[in-house]
Amino acid sequence: MTSLLFAQLGTPHRIQTPSVAWSGLLPVLVLLGGAVVLMVVGALLPRRSRHSWHLWLTLLIAAGSIGCAVPLWFRVRDHGPLSILRDAVRVDGLALFLGIVIVVGVMLAALLTDGYLRREELEGPEPYVLLMLSATGGLLMASANDLIVMFLGLEILSLAVYVLAGLHVRRLRSGEAAMKYFVLGGFSSAFFLYGIALAYGATGSTNLTDIQRFLATNTLTNNGLLLASFALLLVGFGFKVAAAPFHSWAPDVYEGSPSPVVSFMASAVKAAAFAGLIRVFVYAFALDRHDWQPIVYVVAVLTLLVGSVLAVVQTNVKRMLAYSSINHAGFVLVGVQAASDRGVRSALFYLATYTFMVAGSFGVVTIVGRRGDNRHQLDDYKGLARTEPLLAFAFLVFLLAQAGVPFTSGLWAKFYVIGAAVEARSFWLALVAMLSTVISAFLYLRIVLAMYGGADEADEAAPAVPRLRIPFAARIALVVSVVATIGFGLVPGPLTHASKTAVPKIAAGK
Amino acid sequence: MGQYLPVVAMLVLAVVFAILSFAASKLLAPRRPSAAKSSPYECGIVPSQEPPERFPVRFYLVAMIFIVFDIEIIFMYPYAVIYRDLGAFGLVEVLTFAIAVFASFVYLIANGALDWGPAKRLGRRDPQMSATRTTTSTVRRVGLEGRPAGDEEVAA
Amino acid sequence: MKDLLNGWGLTAATFLPLVGLAVMMLIPKAEETLHKVVALVTSLAVFAIGVALIATFDYDKTGNLQFVVDKKWIQLINSRYIVGLDGISLPLLALTVFIVPLVVIYSWNHFPEPNNPKAFLALILLLETGMVGSFVAQDLILFFVFFEIVLLPMYFMIGVWGGEQRQYAAIKFFLYTLFGSALMIVSILATYSLSPKINIDGHLVHTFDMRLLSTWAGGGLARTTGILVFGGFFMGFGIKVPMFPFHTWLPDAHTQAPTQGSVILAAVLLKLGTYGFVRIAIPIFPQAAKSWAPAIGILAVIGIIYGALGCLAQTDMKRLIAFSSVAHMGFVMLGIATLTPFGINAAIFGMVAHGLITGMLFFIAGSVKDRFHTLEIKRLGGLLIQAPHMGWLLGLACMASLGLPGLAGFWGEFPAILSSYSPAAGLSLPLFRTFMVVAAIGTILAAGYLLWLLQRVAFGTPTEEFADEHIHDMHLTDYIAWVPMVVMILVLGFYPNLIFRVTDGAVIHSLAGVTKLGG
Repeated sequence: MTSLLFAQLGTPHRIQTPSVAWSGLLPVLVLLGGAVVLMVVGALLPRRSRHSWHLWLTLLIAAGSIGCAVPLWFRVRDHGPLSILRDAVRVDGLALFLGIVIVVGVMLAALLTDGYLRREELEGPEPYVLLMLSATGGLLMASANDLIVMFLGLEILSLAVYVLAGLHVRRLRSGEAAMKYFVLGGFSSAFFLYGIALAYGATGSTNLTDIQRFLATNTLTNNGLLLASFALLLVGFGFKVAAAPFHSWAPDVYEGSPSPVVSFMASAVKAAAFAGLIRVFVYAFALDRHDWQPIVYVVAVLTLLVGSVLAVVQTNVKRMLAYSSINHAGFVLVGVQAASDRGVRSALFYLATYTFMVAGSFGVVTIVGRRGDNRHQLDDYKGLARTEPLLAFAFLVFLLAQAGVPFTSGLWAKFYVIGAAVEARSFWLALVAMLSTVISAFLYLRIVLAMYGGADEADEAAPAVPRLRIPFAARIALVVSVVATIGFGLVPGPLTHASKTAVPKIAAGK
Repeated sequence: MGQYLPVVAMLVLAVVFAILSFAASKLLAPRRPSAAKSSPYECGIVPSQEPPERFPVRFYLVAMIFIVFDIEIIFMYPYAVIYRDLGAFGLVEVLTFAIAVFASFVYLIANGALDWGPAKRLGRRDPQMSATRTTTSTVRRVGLEGRPAGDEEVAA
Repeated sequence: MKDLLNGWGLTAATFLPLVGLAVMMLIPKAEETLHKVVALVTSLAVFAIGVALIATFDYDKTGNLQFVVDKKWIQLINSRYIVGLDGISLPLLALTVFIVPLVVIYSWNHFPEPNNPKAFLALILLLETGMVGSFVAQDLILFFVFFEIVLLPMYFMIGVWGGEQRQYAAIKFFLYTLFGSALMIVSILATYSLSPKINIDGHLVHTFDMRLLSTWAGGGLARTTGILVFGGFFMGFGIKVPMFPFHTWLPDAHTQAPTQGSVILAAVLLKLGTYGFVRIAIPIFPQAAKSWAPAIGILAVIGIIYGALGCLAQTDMKRLIAFSSVAHMGFVMLGIATLTPFGINAAIFGMVAHGLITGMLFFIAGSVKDRFHTLEIKRLGGLLIQAPHMGWLLGLACMASLGLPGLAGFWGEFPAILSSYSPAAGLSLPLFRTFMVVAAIGTILAAGYLLWLLQRVAFGTPTEEFADEHIHDMHLTDYIAWVPMVVMILVLGFYPNLIFRVTDGAVIHSLAGVTKLGG
């Protein structure tokens, strides 16, 4: 028996281990290592602390990650993408661009989290650790060149966010949100995994480069399997980016989750999921774009309409913003649908600018939510312009940017996306997108008018509420977001240029 | 098929062991049931409804922690068998993995995940008798917090 | 001087208000007088630049763009910062820089609730940037940006300083216009990607340059595509004008807006729409314009009649003036629909005249509201007795508005009607002659409602309600603000060539595409 057991193991011989270009993975490793260090140190030191050193350490780690990404960016720009771990990970412009966007999302969310935790009397380093871990998954997803790695990234990203959604342990809504997100997210992950299996079945590989090569050199006599895998993969991604008809979790989860976490969900999680979507569909399945484009087209139209129309009937600002973020996902999908350089570029630009807008918006929501995080009705915003003029102004900037008003980055974001759609001759999609902007502008204007116009009569009757407390860290986040939103609105050039540099080459059509 | 034989053998052994244990306890254990023994309360009051099952949540916690280390072991075994073949690369990988697990272990210990019994630290921090402790602060009204009404703020 | 203007004149006129705005932002809110002074000085400086531009403008070459600046802006999409002034934009630019200081002066002691001169004046300056920029921009994206900027300050002006229904009116205004812009941006992008590539520094790229696009003039474009793209522009500009049936935002916006907002809205903002037709839609898509012309004509005359009938049904003075705007802009659009130089010249004159006259009417309505706290025509009366100066000015403005020869209004309406007698080749003669007849009926109706307004508000004796009240006649600021407008109404009425001379060359130039098409 034992001889049999050991006989199977064979004689020892060296196994070829892949050489790892660690430098290419540095941004991920810094973030991951930083998260582990923060977790351990945070556990060993007292949980309660007067200084927000958790936050500052997080920012330091995130800045370090970006610091590692920037030299890589130039290296990749000049010498082409790095292929790491037997081409399972590919560090290229797309990965670095969205990676930086994700890490910026972490920084903004972390800045908001600090004040939130103090206000809600929560404590500990866990939120920051989870934010960073989730971002690690996001970075992995953005640079994955293999469906399995992408799935790993997706899961790391998601699991951390599930926990983050339930961060506020004493708030039932928070737990409810976490539960919903977890169950539905798990469900969608299963779809995704099945999609990977089918894609493997159809093409014989999970490596995206191999898949692309296979599809370029072979003609499938029966592509049913491939189409089914498109559908399943799209469900998986669609869920993460909250695209209709897989959006229904978003309003509930956004409403229940702690507001800083929502800012992370709407910015970084979306960016990561779109990175995956673009990698898989626009690049790996580039040659079958005529098969998947119509599906994405329909999903984009639905997402745009659902996001804008259903937002109008909401009275809860957090839900409004949740629907509006669905609408924005639709816009990015419009860029993806174009399946062109310009389309990908516009999607990247959109995601980068949207990160600031949405982080800022939910930053304001965090502050206005007050203790308990449940003052999110439109009425709670009445007269904000007089009590907190600067806060109201910041929110105004974010809302107008989301509506796509000139001098804000939102205009260019929408402009590039629509430009890409028009270039791809999807005129009707462009039209629907713009109309949905008009519809959702209505809701932004409602909030704006509530802040700026609606407090004269109600003012005397309203009970005296204590002034809002705007924590220092949140102030930083808001100022950064406002500056970025207006800055990229006035000078879109650098970001546009970066997004252009980031776009890898798409395989030519058949 | 031959290569799977050891696995099958292990599986059969495991099943046989489980069946044997069950069968042994059935056959060997003395069994003298009575009404008093099976009633839920020793005071003898007959419950009007099924009592909710009480179960220390720590069991789950320990079970979950166990799984983490279980998985570590699962990875250790195959590594131990072919660590020579993998060379330095394998060592680095396993060390990384071990460090990650160790870090989480430190975290667990520091957060008292393995402390058994009543929470001692809480008692020390908040004295039982103090002006700040009132019925509203000690009695927990489940289901009110986090609800949109918002006016009934409950301090935890 | 000339060199300086050539390089910086238009840019300075566009962005000087922003500089003023920045200065105001640095001044604390409580320093109200200082804010007023800064705003006034800024707007006067812009006016001075405007005058300098007008003085140095080469009137022999009105068809050519002058003071052109062409700089790199957003290279990636090859959108450039191109500004320039020709005979079409000059009168409108002049109108804008003329009106804004007057509005600031009028505002001096007339800030609507909730006061806050800092924010109010800042918005006016921001508006000025948007308006001036729209009139000088020669790049579609640049134009679009300025066109959109205008929306926001107006939205806030209505939404914050407006009347009781301000939120409704503000949102309606914003959404209608945004809807139009949304369609327009798609059309702009379609124009961009449908037009042939041009060679810039050795690269073949698409362009947003209006000059090049006008030269291209939709050559080789499929008929339906052209019509659809024009449709996007039509929605964008038509809503702004506003044309029937998209006019419904206008009465609400005017009624709820503060006086200053109404004046700017009527005097300049509506012109952005008609200007867009003349400057962008027609020169770039002459073929499609021809297909659209009958539809535009029909909507224009419906607007004329509907606006007039609407006026007759109003009980509120401001609302009445708003509806009269719909009718007047109908005349302008009718002139544009003929696609003839004569018609479009008339249309541009009509824009300027309507800007002055309706602006004046809104000023007076605002002052009436200020003194009587109502604009209900039923409750007013005897303005001539209580405030004779204001009453006379109202009379003059009404006369000008109904198109009395010798006043500015006449030269906007009459040639527009006349031009539809012989529209551009290829347009249906009977149809346009019918338009002419209907439009002529419209002028009669206009006389009807304006005289009716004048009679009820200015003549007779004051109603019992206000009989014993002391009504202050015009303030000094009113004089300063209104007299220049009255002078301009008279001057343009007596000497219309002042504008026709400027516009004619440019109009012929911009209609080159239409003329080339022939029958």
